[in-house]
Order: sequence, then structure tokens, then C-alpha cells
Amino acid sequence: MIPYQLVWLIMLLPLFSFIVNGLIVRPFIKPKSRVYGYITVGAIGVSAVLSIWALFSVMSASHHEIPVPDVTWMVLENGVTIHLGLILDSLTAVMLVVVTVVSLMVQIYSLGYMHGDEAGYYRYYTWMSLFTFSMLGLVLSDNLLFTFVFWEMVGLCSYLLIGFWFHRKSAADAAKKAFIVTRIGDFGFLAAILILFFNTGTFDIAALHGLVIAGTLGGTVLMWAAIGIFAGAVGKSAQFPLHVWLPDAMEGPTPVSALIHAATMVAAGVFLVARMFPLFEYSTAALTTVAIIGGFTAIFAATMGLVMNDIKRVLAYSTVSQLGYMMLGLATGGVAVGIFHLFTHAFFKALLFLGSGSVSHSTGTFDMRLMGGLRKTMPWTYATFLIGSLSLAGIWPLAGFWSKDEILISSLANQPVLFWLAMITVFLTAFYMFRAIFMTFHGEYRGGDESGDYKHTHESPLVMVGPLVLLAILAVIAGWWNVAGGFNEVMGAHGHEETRGFFGGLFGAFTHTVQGVPLPLISLLVGLFGIFSAYTIYIKKWITAESLGRVFGPLYTLVSRKYFFDELYENIIVKLALMKGLFTGFTLFDSKGIDGTVDGVSDVVISGGQAIRHAQTGQLQLYGLFIGIGVVIISLCVYFFG
Amino acid sequence: MNLELFIPEITLAVFAILVILLDLFVRDKSWLRLVSLSGLVIAGGVTVAMWGDDSTAIFNNMLAVDNFALFFKLLFAGIAFLVILASTDYVAKFARFQGEYYALILLSTLGMMLMAATTDLISLFVALELTSISLYVLVGFLKDRKSTEASLKYLLLGAIASAVLLYGMALVFGSTGQTQLGAIAQAIQSMSLESVLDSPALLMGIVLLIAGFGFKIAAVPFQMWVPDVYEGAPTPVTAYLSVASKAAGFAIILRVFFSAFGIPEWLSMNWGMIFAALAVISMIIGNVIAIPQTNIKRMLGYSSIAQAGYLMVGLAAIGFAPAIATQGQSTILFFLASYALTNLGAFIAVIAISNKINSDDIADYAGMGKRAPVMALALTLCLISLIGMPPAAGFMAKFYIFSTAVQNDLLWLVVIAVLNSVISAYYYLRVVKVMWYGQPASGEKVPSSGAPRLALFLCCLGVLVLGIIPGLVMRLAELAGKMFAF
Amino acid sequence: MTIGLEHYLVLSAVLFCIGLYGALTKRNAVIILMCIELMLNSVNISLVAFSSYIVPLLLTGQVFAIFVMVVAAAEVAVGLAIILAIYRGLTDIDASNINLMKW
Repeated sequence: MIPYQLVWLIMLLPLFSFIVNGLIVRPFIKPKSRVYGYITVGAIGVSAVLSIWALFSVMSASHHEIPVPDVTWMVLENGVTIHLGLILDSLTAVMLVVVTVVSLMVQIYSLGYMHGDEAGYYRYYTWMSLFTFSMLGLVLSDNLLFTFVFWEMVGLCSYLLIGFWFHRKSAADAAKKAFIVTRIGDFGFLAAILILFFNTGTFDIAALHGLVIAGTLGGTVLMWAAIGIFAGAVGKSAQFPLHVWLPDAMEGPTPVSALIHAATMVAAGVFLVARMFPLFEYSTAALTTVAIIGGFTAIFAATMGLVMNDIKRVLAYSTVSQLGYMMLGLATGGVAVGIFHLFTHAFFKALLFLGSGSVSHSTGTFDMRLMGGLRKTMPWTYATFLIGSLSLAGIWPLAGFWSKDEILISSLANQPVLFWLAMITVFLTAFYMFRAIFMTFHGEYRGGDESGDYKHTHESPLVMVGPLVLLAILAVIAGWWNVAGGFNEVMGAHGHEETRGFFGGLFGAFTHTVQGVPLPLISLLVGLFGIFSAYTIYIKKWITAESLGRVFGPLYTLVSRKYFFDELYENIIVKLALMKGLFTGFTLFDSKGIDGTVDGVSDVVISGGQAIRHAQTGQLQLYGLFIGIGVVIISLCVYFFG
Repeated sequence: MNLELFIPEITLAVFAILVILLDLFVRDKSWLRLVSLSGLVIAGGVTVAMWGDDSTAIFNNMLAVDNFALFFKLLFAGIAFLVILASTDYVAKFARFQGEYYALILLSTLGMMLMAATTDLISLFVALELTSISLYVLVGFLKDRKSTEASLKYLLLGAIASAVLLYGMALVFGSTGQTQLGAIAQAIQSMSLESVLDSPALLMGIVLLIAGFGFKIAAVPFQMWVPDVYEGAPTPVTAYLSVASKAAGFAIILRVFFSAFGIPEWLSMNWGMIFAALAVISMIIGNVIAIPQTNIKRMLGYSSIAQAGYLMVGLAAIGFAPAIATQGQSTILFFLASYALTNLGAFIAVIAISNKINSDDIADYAGMGKRAPVMALALTLCLISLIGMPPAAGFMAKFYIFSTAVQNDLLWLVVIAVLNSVISAYYYLRVVKVMWYGQPASGEKVPSSGAPRLALFLCCLGVLVLGIIPGLVMRLAELAGKMFAF
Repeated sequence: MTIGLEHYLVLSAVLFCIGLYGALTKRNAVIILMCIELMLNSVNISLVAFSSYIVPLLLTGQVFAIFVMVVAAAEVAVGLAIILAIYRGLTDIDASNINLMKW
């Protein structure tokens, strides 16, 4: 059993490395030093070990929960105390392992990837430490107030890291876009917190669960609270219609994309819904909303992934799509199903991002049209990327197969229409991933970056390949945890299949039928068909992409322009509807700095100030007169109204 | 009577005289600073040692020794300590008169300590004047035109305000026959509403008291002196004035209005409403006129008017609360502590920077983020705290005050206050923006010496501690809020 | 006609207002200071009158008045010193010319 002090330590170690990097070491060591990286890796490494210990402790604890004593933070006048408390239940423990392990891999990888960057390790590792701390705080927090604080902090770190190369306009724009779009969702979340607080008087998550289960909290209040929370999740997890920020967020350094925009922060939305799941469970309308948005986002994003030429954007849309899957899983199958996919997805998606980073490290670009044939020069990257893609495509016996299967089974049972969308998504996923693989690693090398500096490709250094291999191993085995229903048991859910032991489950998966349909077998075949289709087009070229383009011309335009969502938001909503209002403020905020924010809002206030200040003439007797007049006015008021 | 309970005040008086005497003999004037600092440390230490649950009255019920008074005494000693520490370099401008400078600061601190402890109108008036007269001189210490002008304005207006206050006291004395606060309260409780309305001398007296105290705390419309005096005075004195003098004003208002006029409810509702109205105009006028200011001291002057407005939201909440409730007091005490640290921090940074660049223009602060990064960072933190954004102390302080007000059905007032906080962000952030994004006039670094840095560090540490773990100070404030009334 | 409390109070109020009026209108800083003295001393009349009519056995008001006089003397001393300092810089003590700082 892990002592509770160490649970605090899990969260505080990255904070420690943030403080050490940001405040203590910085004056003495130049920003490009690797020392910053070693400090961060060390701190997060210990966190990761402790997290794994915590997970095993939780698995063996009764009710799968370890109590952590509260710290009283402040007492409001009306007797409401706000505790600084932590939850350590199975959900948190799983998230802890995901966050710390992926973060550790990413930090090690970054030692190689960020090497020689002009901005230096200093700023990068400082923000990364802060992010890891905030993310751990988010999953550990036991009350909504702190959840929200950490929620905003991860958003802030995301903003800072997307804009890491802020001198590039596209990066600065993307950071701004991410910040503003997620803020829209956050309003919903904040509103939900306030609704819950004013109706129940508590921020405590466990207490809220209790009230919902007891039926004290219900009806429309519950529905709006749940929908508000989901709005926050939609923003953070880039679900339709707030998905537009995530692909642009790829402007940040690739390890940032891997950690924040694939494995952890974007999954925070899914986590939040899981954490507040009783609220959704008792509100059918909210639960249905989650299912529909999730299922639709899954297929919607997958179609856009089909046509992207930038490898990171393919992965970004894939992430949006998979997050939709998780939402669908949560809504139809409960916490265990959704979080299991989150768990496996974190590893293989981080792997894929880091793989794409490794590729670009060697070719100087992310444009797949300039790559090709890399499997010969970059065997390790190729092998691991292939494993990640197979896992994502849901091929037996890799991790993705098991978690995706669970979602399909539960959606077939509860939302048959969405099940079909999900099934199509399986095909699309396999297709776009292998399109990416064939364009990147097969065929002939097409020369890399336009600068011509990358004529000769090479395998990346060990610090980058090492994490890839470790993540690849996890991408294979992570799913086996639930082969015999182990994961479901830990999460306190009942598995869909009867226990047949590990090997029984591993090989018996295909014979398993749901409502008479051998579902795992079908989904495997659909996935394989997707891979085969990509093979026919991009390797054998039996059907050329051009001819497809001719047939599906308008459709292709529609998809490749991302359904015109960016234009919709920017031209119609931003430029027309909100031109004079809020968005002008936001835009000016960046173009003119802080002056601008207020220009739009408070011209009146400023000119008012200009006018009133002239009453201050410098004449001391006038000042005295004001004292006299003030006394007279107050006396009259008291006389007449008192 | 027990003279031990008067040790902090005696210490300060003795050290003030000691500083003046030593001034005649020592050549190295920095000894004077050490002596006055040690005097403050002793006074503060004794105050801490006196902290406890029992409260006593000394000097024939004229002074109270209770946690409320001790809280303020410690606050004033701390403020004076930081101000003296921060003026280390600044005193070079009047090197010959350092002794008088330190002695006057100690004397005005003594006056403020008496203000916080006084429970009688007579001792109140004497304490108030002791504070004010020392400050009139301190404001004129630079002897240039601006400084003497500020001093004259402060003196004449202050004297008018004192006369108004005194008239109010005379009326209260006349209608109750008492000068001791507790006795006044008893006398008022035996009056009926009708008898008071028939001869409104008591209400008139209260109004005049509010006007007189309003001058001290810089409430609109008694605030006109503030910007001019703040601009003209030596910057450390401005810092002292904006923080300590205001805190003392609030201490005395809390004491008088809670002890003497707290019950019955129709009376407290009455002055609560006056404070609510004053709060509204103070916040609006202070924030709106702060926006077009170009001199940073003047801007901080208007900002302090607005801050007084937020504090008066708390006073209004006390007026509207049931008479036994003490949460209002503790929130104001917390706000004052956080405001003291924050504003002092801002002023110390301003002293350090403007002493080197010889300008108080906000425009000349351009690029300070590069030229004096430590100072700029500290100033940024303090300005953020003045806006009331987490994790700085200002956030918790506003949060406490506003939530008390909401509980006492003053939601409308809180809405106005929050809107004003938003407006205030504009002029505070403008300074931040100029410092970090502005084009520096020269690449030259702005050096700063050890003592102001130490003072600034203490302030920033305090701001963060109060903002992140407010419970600690809040508990002290809660103990101090349970005032000893009789 | 017997002289009652109200007569003293009216006298005090009238003097206070005259003092206030003078303090707000006179140009010469020394005269302003004198007007302020008038205000303070008018309050002293009130204090003493209240004391002898309401609490005739105690001397509260009288004591208060003595304190006020002492304080007022100190205030005038500082005030005159400051006016002297102004005069040195400006060779003028016209209050309406003292407006270097405004807005």
C-alpha cells in the first residue's frame, strides 16, 4: 500500500522540477543546457515509479480506493470549507500511470528532439514540468474548484507550448486559436460548477456523486450541469463543433503534440466526463448528447484525416476521431469502456506522434509528399510506427483491438445507429493510417524539405528511438490487461464476456459473439480491408488517387477544406456576427497588446476619465469645497432617506 | 493600571527621541536607520508577545489592548519597517535631515498604533493629530516646489477635515453625554428611534465623523488631496501614506462604528448605506480617473482611492450585518493586510526604479522587463494583486470581502465592485505591458541595492503567501475581528 | 431672556461656518490657517457648552477643549513652517497660485 504522502509527491515532483528549472537553476546555467532536461526527466521518472506503485496499491485495495487525508485550504464565512484533497481511486490511478509514463517517454525523447533549438531546453522543460504538474493535479483533485483551476492551467501550458516558436506567426495564431476555442467550452464548465455549487453548496466530487445517486440532485438542474460539464469536455477534447483548434495546435514542437495534444490534455475532457459520470448516468438527455457528439466526431474527423498531406495533421484528426470514440464508449458502456480506450490510445498515439517527429527530424518536413522510402534508412522508426498504426487500426492482438472492441460492443447494444458510424470509422482509420505509412515509409525518397539540406536520411539517436521502442511495447501489451476482464474489474465494472482466463480470452476473441454477431471478427476484417484499400491505391496504384479525386471531386474539396469549418468560424461568425463585440477584443488583444482589449470595450470609460480628471484643478480650496459639499449631500440624504 | 501593556508605544516614543539625539552625535547616519529599525522590531516583537485571548483597557478606559489593536500595531510596525528599509537609497535626497525623517516615521507609527487602540473620542483626536502632523511634515520633506505644495495642501485640507471631525465628535458627545465608545453605545441603546429623529444631532454627528474619517481613508468626495499629495511627496512617504494612514483610518472607523454605533440595527443600517454609496462613487471615480494618468505615483494614488472603495464595501457589509457578526471585521483586516503588502511592494519597486531613472512617468518604465527584471517582475506581481487576480493576495482579499457583502444582501454593490475591478485591470496592465513589451529608452541596466530588494522580496513573499494559503492570516484576522468593545 | 444651551450651539455653528467659508475663499494661506483655527475654536465652544449643560458634574468637554487647543497650536506651528517653505520657493503665499500638480 502506498503511503499517502507519496501520492502528494507524485503531483509535487513535477512542480518541484518546474520551480527548480524556472527559478533556481536558470540564473546559473545557460538556457541551452541539458541539465534542465535531466532535472525534469528525473522528477517525472520518480513520479512515474510512484504512479505505478499507486496503481498496484489501488488494484489490491478494498473498493479500489485509497483514502488521502484532506488539507483545509480555506473556510468561507457561511461554514463552507474548501479542502485541498486528493482522490486516489482506480480512475485516477490509471490516469496517473498514463500521464507520468507518457510524459517520461516524451521528456526523454525531447532531449534528442529539442537538441540545438535556439529557444533552448530551459523554456521547454520549464513549461513541460508545469504542464505535467497541472495534469496530475487535474486527475488527482477531489473537488470541482481545483479541477477547474488545474483545467485552466493545462490550457495555459498548452497555449504556451503551442506557441513555443512564437516568432512564427502560424504558431502564435494557433496558440491563440486553441486558447480562445477551448475557452468557449470552459464557460460551460464554469457555469456547471456554479450551478452545482448553488444547488448543493459543495464542490466536493464524491459528495456530488452521493447526492446524485441519492436522487437529491436531479431533473433539469442535473441535466444542465451535466451538459455544462460536457461543454467543457467538448472544448478540451476537441469534439465537434469545437474541434477546429486541435489540428492547428500541431504548430507546437512534436513532443508537445504527443504529450499534450494526443495522450493527456485532450483526454482530460474524456476524463472529466468519466470523473463526473454519475451525473451523466442519471440524466439520459446528457448521456445521449455525449454519445451522439462522440460518435459523430469520430467519423467526421476520420474523413478529414483521409486527405491531409501533413503527417501530424493526419494524426491530429485521428486523435479527434479517437477521442470521439472514447466519448461514445463512455456514453454507451460506462467509465471502464471509455477509459480503457483512453489508456491504450495514449500509448500508441504518443508513439505515432513521436514517430512522426523522428521522421521530420530526419527529413526536415512534415509533408508526406516530400517523404517516402524511409523504411530502409529508419528501420526502428518504421517498425515502431507500424506497430502503432496496427494498434490504432485495431488489429489483433494489439492494444487498440481490445479497447475498440469494447466500444463497438457497447454501442451496438445501446446506440445501433452510432454503431454503424463507428464501424465505418474503423475502416477509415485503418485506411488513413496506412495511407500515411505508405506515403512516408514506402516507395522512393522524394527529397525532404525544400531547402535541400535533408538529402540523406538517417535513423534518429538512441534517446529518441528508446522511448519509441518502449511505447511500442506498451502499444502491443497494454490491451492485454482486459483480455480476461482485469481492467473492468479494477474500474468496478462488469465485463461483457465471461472470464475465460488470459489465453482463453486472447484467442477466443473471434469466436465471441454479440447478439449472434461475431463482432470482433467483423471489426478485424473491416480494419484489414481498410489497410488493403490503402495498399491498392498507394502501393499497387490499381486505383490512383487522382481518379478517385475525379470521381469524388466536390466531396474531396469539401473534406480537404475541413468542411469549411475554419471559414465558417472565421468569416461568418467571427467577422460578421461578433465583429463589433468580443472577438474584436480577442483579435486586438494580440495585435495591439493589452491596449487593444479595452479599446473595443471602454472608450467611454477612458474619455469619462479624461473629462472627470479636470475637476482636479490643483486648487486646494476647491478640494476643501468638495469636502463641504460632500458633507451637505450626505446629510441631506440621511435626512430624507434615513 | 498595568504599564506593561503600553510597552510598544513607549518603545517607539523612546526610539524616536533616541534617533533625534543620536543625530546630533553620530557622523555615519546609516546608524540612525539601524536604530529606528531595531526600535520597530522591538515594538513589533512585544506586540506579538502580547497577543492572546484576554483584552484589557488601560488609561481610564481610553485605550484598549485587544487582539484588534495588536493586529494593527503589528501591521503598522511592519509597514514602517519596510518603508524605512526601502528608503535606504532615497534618503540621500535629504541626507542632512535623516534623523528627523526616521523620527517622524516612528512618531506617526506611534500615532497610528494609538489610533488602533483608542476607545475614547478624546484620545482618538489626539492620536489622529499626532499621526497627521508628523505626516504633514514628512510630505514636505523634499523641500522642492512640488513637495512643499503637497505638504501645504495636505495640511490645510487635513486641518479642515479635522475640524469637521471634531465638530462631529462634539455633536456625538452632546447627544450622548459620553466620550468613551462603550458608554456612547449604552447611551444610544437607551434612545428610541423617534427621539433621535426629533433632534438629529446624533445623526449629523455621525455624518460629520464619516466625512472626517473619509478624508483619512480617501473616500470620494473627500479624496481630492490624494493624487496631488501622492505625486508631490517623497515616494517612500507616499507609500507609507497610502498604506499605513489608510489602514489606520479603517482601524478607527471599525472601532468607532462597531463599538459605538453598532447597535441598534436602524442606526447601523443607516451608516452602512452611507458607506455603500461612498464605496460606489469611490470605486468609479478612482478607477475611471486612474486610466488617463501618466505619472505612476498619481495613478497609484487614484488606485488607492478605488481600493478604499472596495474596503468600504466591507464596511457597508458590517453595517448591514447583524450586530454580533464579526466576519465583516476580519475580512477587512485581511484586505488591509494584503493591500498593505501589495501596495508597499508596488511602491518599493517604483522607488527603486524611479530613484535611478529620475522619472515617475509610466512611459519611462518602457522595457524595464529587460533593464530591471527583478523589479519589473515584482511590480507585475503587485499590480496583478491590485487587480485581484489569483494567485496573488488581492484575489483572496476581494473574494472574502465580496462574499461577506453578498451574504448581507449587497449583491448589487458587489456587481458594481466586480465591474470596477475589470475596469481597473486596464490601467494596471498598461504598466505591465509598457514594462515588458515597451521599447527601452536605453539598454542600460537599472541597478538596485540590497535593502530595497530585501523589502521588496518580503512584500512579494507576503503577497504570494496570503494569496495561496490565506487561511493562516485569515485565522489571525478572525481572532482580531472579535473586538473588545467596552 | 435667559441664555440656554441652544444659544451657545448656534454661536458655535455660525462661527464654524464663517471659519469654513473663510478657509474656502481667502487667498492668503496664513489667513486660511487662521480660519481653520476659528473652526476648531468654534467646536471648543460647543464642547464646553455641552459639558456644562449635559454633564455638569464632569469636566469632559473642558478637558477635550484643552486637548484641542494644544493640538491646534501644534498644527499651526507646522502650518506656518510649511507656508514659510512655500514662500521661499514662490515668494508668494496666494493659495490660488499653488497649483503645480493637478489632473
